[in-house]
Amino acid sequence: MSVEFFLGIAILVIGTTAAAFPRPKTYLTRLINLEIPAWGLLLIMLSFDETLALLTFIAVTAISTFVIVRVVERRHAA
Amino acid sequence: MEGIYAFGLLAVFASIVIGFWALVRENDDLHRILLTDLAEILALALIALVATDLAEALILPGLVVGISELMAISEVFLVREGLVRQPERMLQIEVMDSAPGLLALALVGYGILLSGFSGGAVAGIGVIFYFVCKGHDERFALLETLSGYAWAMWIVAFFIFMLLPQYWFFGVLIAGAAILLKVAGKMSLVGTMRGGANV
Repeated sequence: MSVEFFLGIAILVIGTTAAAFPRPKTYLTRLINLEIPAWGLLLIMLSFDETLALLTFIAVTAISTFVIVRVVERRHAA
Repeated sequence: MEGIYAFGLLAVFASIVIGFWALVRENDDLHRILLTDLAEILALALIALVATDLAEALILPGLVVGISELMAISEVFLVREGLVRQPERMLQIEVMDSAPGLLALALVGYGILLSGFSGGAVAGIGVIFYFVCKGHDERFALLETLSGYAWAMWIVAFFIFMLLPQYWFFGVLIAGAAILLKVAGKMSLVGTMRGGANV
């Protein structure tokens, strides 16, 4: 259990730093970097056997990426 | 176990400090929306550390609320920045006129049969498909009414659990039907994202 847990915590902290201070600072870089802490969270959920939460989180992340990309695309087009 | 929990809590709190530090220093609104997403992930990590069924019970509504919040904020952002544009020509093909009624009916029927959270998701997909194909003018009032009924059913189920615990199965059924309505209503909002009169 603890291997996934510690890996998840490490990825969460690293990913938070990467998403908080992306380089170069564009919307897309930050959006892609946001996937890293999400992965950390998934590993933490996996280590605690939270199956339903894990699956729902994957589905919701897909929808939220769709929503954010739509906004970024309109912002770039304007 | 205690040590692991304390360590995880410490690491997640450190991440939250980093995330909010970045949020405070940010001036661009769209970057702020992205950082709000980060804050949501960190909050979920905090709940996930509880590591019991309670964590799952707290994470699921958190996810549903989070996605509707993100959609609302993004719509407000688009309207405020004047980035809303009407599509010149909607996609119109034959199957979009004939299929939605029957397919939405089948999906919603199957969703009601499943009930609960996954049933809500299946029924929601049916409603999304219907809205995308048929348009959605003046249907928001209906969704709001449904959402209100779902809340009321939830409260009733809660009182049954608290006051009449011997009827717990009835309470479970009411709560399952209510979350079906709630999730289906929230998901059907996705179908209205094509733009239109009152969006």
